[in-house]
Amino acid sequence: MGARRDFLRVLFRIAFRNLLASKVRTGILGAIVLAGSLIVVVGSSVLDSIDRGMRTSIQESLGGHVQVYDADSEGTLELYGGLRGESLLEPIEDFARVKEVLSKVPNVKQVVPMGIDQAMVATGNTFDVALEKVRDDVRKLAAGARGAELLRAYEAHKAHVRRMAELLKEELSQARMLVDLEGREGNERRREWEALVQAASEEFWSRFEEDRYGNLEFLENRVAPLAMDNSFTFIRYVGTDEEAFFRAFPLAEVIEGERIPPGQRGVLVGKQYADEWLKLRNARRLDQIKDRRDRRGKRIAKDEQLQRWVKDNGGGIREILLQFDPVQAEEVSGKLRAALGAGDGAPLDALLERLFATTDEDFDEKHRIFYEVVAPRLRLYRINVGDTITVKAPSKSGYFSSVNVKVYGFLQFKGIEKSGIAGMMSVMDLQSFRDLYGFMTKEKAEEIRRLKERMGAREVAREDAEEALFGAPAAAPASTRAAAIDEDALVASALERRAGGEDLSARVYSQEEIDRGVALNAALILEDHSPWAIRRTMKDVRAASEASGLGLKVVDWQAAAGLVGQFVTMLRLVLFFFVAVFFAIALVVINNAMVMATLQRVKEIGTMRAIGAQRGLVVTMLLVEIGAVGVVFGLAGAALGGLVVAGIRLAGGIPAVTDLLYFFFSGPALFPTLGRGPVAVSLSIVLAVAILSALYPAVIAMKVTPVEAMATED
Amino acid sequence: MSAIVSLQDVSKDYMLGNTVVPALRGVTLDVDQGDFLSIAGPSGSGKTTLLNLVGCVDTPTAGTVQVAGHDTSRLHERELTDLRLRTIGFIFQSFNLVSVLSVFQNVEFPLLLQGNLSKEDRRKRVLDLLEAVGLSEHTRHRPSELSGGQRQRVAIARALVARPKLVLADEPTANLDSRTGGNIIDLMREMNRKDGTTFVFSTHDPKVMSHANALVRIEDGRITAREAVGAARAEAR
Repeated sequence: MGARRDFLRVLFRIAFRNLLASKVRTGILGAIVLAGSLIVVVGSSVLDSIDRGMRTSIQESLGGHVQVYDADSEGTLELYGGLRGESLLEPIEDFARVKEVLSKVPNVKQVVPMGIDQAMVATGNTFDVALEKVRDDVRKLAAGARGAELLRAYEAHKAHVRRMAELLKEELSQARMLVDLEGREGNERRREWEALVQAASEEFWSRFEEDRYGNLEFLENRVAPLAMDNSFTFIRYVGTDEEAFFRAFPLAEVIEGERIPPGQRGVLVGKQYADEWLKLRNARRLDQIKDRRDRRGKRIAKDEQLQRWVKDNGGGIREILLQFDPVQAEEVSGKLRAALGAGDGAPLDALLERLFATTDEDFDEKHRIFYEVVAPRLRLYRINVGDTITVKAPSKSGYFSSVNVKVYGFLQFKGIEKSGIAGMMSVMDLQSFRDLYGFMTKEKAEEIRRLKERMGAREVAREDAEEALFGAPAAAPASTRAAAIDEDALVASALERRAGGEDLSARVYSQEEIDRGVALNAALILEDHSPWAIRRTMKDVRAASEASGLGLKVVDWQAAAGLVGQFVTMLRLVLFFFVAVFFAIALVVINNAMVMATLQRVKEIGTMRAIGAQRGLVVTMLLVEIGAVGVVFGLAGAALGGLVVAGIRLAGGIPAVTDLLYFFFSGPALFPTLGRGPVAVSLSIVLAVAILSALYPAVIAMKVTPVEAMATED
Repeated sequence: MSAIVSLQDVSKDYMLGNTVVPALRGVTLDVDQGDFLSIAGPSGSGKTTLLNLVGCVDTPTAGTVQVAGHDTSRLHERELTDLRLRTIGFIFQSFNLVSVLSVFQNVEFPLLLQGNLSKEDRRKRVLDLLEAVGLSEHTRHRPSELSGGQRQRVAIARALVARPKLVLADEPTANLDSRTGGNIIDLMREMNRKDGTTFVFSTHDPKVMSHANALVRIEDGRITAREAVGAARAEAR
């Protein structure tokens, strides 16, 4: 035994001495092995960490661990949206049954119903908002209120509308100078202009009180549309059982406002979405400039994008001016003059222009002034917490459905709030989703039946429609007098409807009502969510679905995330490819070097064979030699990789320089950790490559016969 | 005296491209235990081929070669290797020491291959031999630090360390000056006398031949003469 150990020692000694004897060769081979090991360790550590980050982001924001949807669906589920819009899913008609069956599958903790879709949201324009305030005051006055506060507010609100009309007139007069339209289009524009001139005139306002409602109507119908603000926007939402949703997805949090009260209708608007689409554009641009400056070290002086934003802000002042009534305008002007150190006479538009003409030197200061002085008097978001918004979507039946839902709050996903992938998502109650989706519930069918009955509607075949409508002479209307809308009567009827218990927004739905109905997909939350447990549970869920005839397609969270879920796989492929190319080259280089070394040693090998060394021994010697290089330099590379990873952590991680990366890092920076996995993998690869590259030299060595020892040197 | 090596009508052909080059043609030869036999002949006469066959590093095209009672054509490669390890010692024209090992380690190498001696026994065996060849001062040196003669002594020690029955030496003095060469042959002869180890060596140097007790002349692959040289001289003394 001792002799065997001594013999091995000699083998190692020969191997090491051979390595030392040709230091350059060993150095080159070592450097290759070290670099390879370093790349694998750092690369896979980073990827593993991204994998973990992405897992957290997906599983805890929308994905859960397993997703199910109807197996007959045309499309595949893509939680975060695909390249061609929302996926085409067949509805799960009765979610309650899915919940009942799947809840019994072992390891399933929770089944969360979902319906992801896009819809249009009417947001109104600033003119509408200002008019709404006047209308509110008028209503109170009509009801007999006469408080000094109310009268003052009424005058200020009226002045605001008048000011807006003046601003619009000014703007449109400039446009009129530029274009000279003919024909119908020209007539149309002339009528618009006349309406605007009237709305801005002294005469109109002095006689406003004579017909408050009539004049308001004129302003609303003829003037407000000319403001041409965005009056609707698209929203991406998930209709869900809100209670279950917040239990299932720990990253979700309401950052402003409150949760939707249990069982009620309502919507939580995605914060990121609100920032991007609903926020006052000048404020949004200021945020973006600040973000780029702070987080990415960009400078206005050097960055074209920032310069563009500054320029756009200069042009976006009208939007702000429109929001102030004269009292507010005066207030803001005074504060801005003081803050900017401007002269007494400077008007508000000049002050705002000055405020938004930011440079690198004064940006932070002006950003602060905006948020302290201007922003508190502005409607920063077109939708605010507490608003009731009208959401419209083309329903399954082909018609547009619309629902009114109250905005209870703004929603964000912790850690990935900057990422649009999840941050664009809003959460809506399941009943509203079902109304929009347009799948006929029993309740709805009944309502339609009742409506038809009340209106006396009857089914008319298309070919008979003309006859039915116009064929028979109808009694002519008694009078065609254009009646002004009777506001009081309208309000009264609305109140009556409310009293009749038909106000859906206040209705509390029971859990059974929430569950019983349509969903598009469902997220399953598992007790044990290791990859292995997920696979096993998926199998059980499939079996359960089959046994109960649910016809569900079962996918894991990664597949459900669609393209997003493939990101890490893609990165891994890239790394794999890179490593493969690297090691292919390494293989050739090491192989060549070892072939050379073997050929140089033919005589020595022959001598050993003559003296009595078996072939296996010679091969072992060669493998020990290259194996030693692999182990020593592979370990060194892994250790260096560990240092690099630790260095990255110490330096504050890899920053998420794009918003997309927030999602994959599950936070503002990635802190890679050195796992045992990457080290083991890198050492295995390095050793495998080393041994592979020694195979051909080994064959050469094996073919060396003792006769070679006899050959003379030259 | 019994024959340790016995060749019966041995031929060996090499292929050189498409032509068959006969290196040995029908050689029959016995080497007795304790012989100090010299194989003499000009370059290309077949000396080395003959030694290769005797040393079990090559097999004959025809005829039988028996070494220490084994018919080498019936042995597998592994068995031949083992036979070499346990029965034969080799001394090469260009010494063929393992350059990265010290003198001591080079000599110890065959013992490690055999693997049946304890470390202490090996040490004693190696040191005794190194003393016998006059290199006890150089045990830690590398071959590159030694002169040609010293290197060949290390080789002799390595050939003898496993106490083989037969030592083959291919032109052991060809790379040495004549005085050193003479010393090496004297050393080999001394080992032959002391332990009764059989030596077979090839040479074309008449002075070296004169040390042998038997001489086989070979020419064009045939044995042309077998004379008792040194033996007769020794007997005459």
